[in-house]
Amino acid sequence: MNYDQPYWNPVLETLPGDALRGLQLKKFQRVFRWTYTHSKFHRSLYEAAGISPEDIRTFADIRRVPTVEKSMMRDIQRKDPFPYGDALCVPLDEVTVFRQTSGTTGQPVYQPDTWQDWEWWAECWAYILWAQGYRPSDRVFLPFGYNVFVAFWAGHYAAEKIGCEVVPGGVLDTKARILKIQELRATAMMGTPTYLLGMAETARLKMGIDPAQLTVNKITCAGECGASIPSTKRRLEDAWGARIYDHAGATEIGAWSYECAAQPGGLHVNEAMFLVEIIDTETGQLIEEPGRRGKMVITAFDRQAQPCVRFDSKDVIEWAAEPCPCGRSFRVIQGGVVGRADDITKVKGVLLAPSAIEEVVRGIQGLGDEYEVVVDQTGNSETIRLRVEILPEAQDQCAWIQSELEDQLRLKTNLRYDLEICGCGSLPRYETKAKRFKDLRHKKTE
Amino acid sequence: MNATIDMESLTLNIQRARRAVEELKRLGENFPAVARNAERILASLKMIEINVCDIAGSGFASEQVR
Repeated sequence: MNYDQPYWNPVLETLPGDALRGLQLKKFQRVFRWTYTHSKFHRSLYEAAGISPEDIRTFADIRRVPTVEKSMMRDIQRKDPFPYGDALCVPLDEVTVFRQTSGTTGQPVYQPDTWQDWEWWAECWAYILWAQGYRPSDRVFLPFGYNVFVAFWAGHYAAEKIGCEVVPGGVLDTKARILKIQELRATAMMGTPTYLLGMAETARLKMGIDPAQLTVNKITCAGECGASIPSTKRRLEDAWGARIYDHAGATEIGAWSYECAAQPGGLHVNEAMFLVEIIDTETGQLIEEPGRRGKMVITAFDRQAQPCVRFDSKDVIEWAAEPCPCGRSFRVIQGGVVGRADDITKVKGVLLAPSAIEEVVRGIQGLGDEYEVVVDQTGNSETIRLRVEILPEAQDQCAWIQSELEDQLRLKTNLRYDLEICGCGSLPRYETKAKRFKDLRHKKTE
Repeated sequence: MNATIDMESLTLNIQRARRAVEELKRLGENFPAVARNAERILASLKMIEINVCDIAGSGFASEQVR
């Protein structure tokens, strides 16, 4: 087998645009028919909209298909067929694995998968890992808790499928994981940016180990936007001395995008497996041109047990203007997922994306990796409190750092902040998805 | 399309494999070790169909998601 082949699928990943669109239309028709025929929940939604499989002839017809939101899935679940409810498209005894969403935005959504679905998850991840240079010679360490969250489960199986040697670092604590990486000379790793930064800090400060001197040469990140935020990516690269790759996916969608080895500043959408539509949040119109942000509506073409058809993910993305030099024809979303429609909020009349704050904080030398943002309201006045940590070796530059932070924040976000510079280690650490942004305004009105 | 990849032969062999494994599954009706392993092979075959048959020639692998 030729391991120099740069593409997991040399046919689909380089398919010319017209052929790719034709394939997408056929695959949408197929999954729509499957969903219409097998899911009571979806069928009633489509019948109410007056649309049936015979009506899907063009991409314009696809836009008529109603979108599904996470809250709708929450409403139908915990009922028969228990616990998935009426969106289940296969007999219950064909479900081979249960997962659930993390619950970051509310009650978790359950996700049933058949064995074929699980093969499909691993297949989508195989596209990701192959593009990022994973090969059978790699020893891949997975420092995550193997549990009900999908997290890196499929990454594990995809690495096995590719032929890598996988080391599951499940119940080990952070120090034991670092020692295992050192002991086995692992060459690759997967994790959330938050955890990987914390892991590097533990190695340096508590174990006297420089993670950049370990043998890890590539890391795949997921679960947060961080690896597509340039300053966070640089910190991870510096900490680990490794290539840092981003990937975006979700439990109820699948692994839909990946950064390739050319690192074009964004993520390829796997357009053979998914249809991504970017929708203008104000007008509801489709955005095709590069550079305009909107929310993602996505379809997974090959998902069987609980389909994902025109799912309103609320991820904010935009198309890149240039094709990627890697030769893939799959389009690129510039800068990865730049936020969630839920998180991008107006403060003092200005749109604020938490990722912009992260880009500033992690771009300033002397500040630690952690930060916390609290938006609050007193009377008619809105405030943003930003807490950051100063590193011990930068204590004597505190005044300069504060001034630089204020300037950069004003420049990048057009807002003023109440800054609090704390000692290193005083802010919370996270092992899974971090919750650094708190908006207390809505809590007070609830 | 990549000239060095024979999509037609790939597709033909995938179809042959599917027929063979579906027959295995049928024959294993009272033989769990055969039937369940055949089921798993069919799931893997589906992944090859997604990668190859959906785009090969004018044929679309299957009208079914499974």
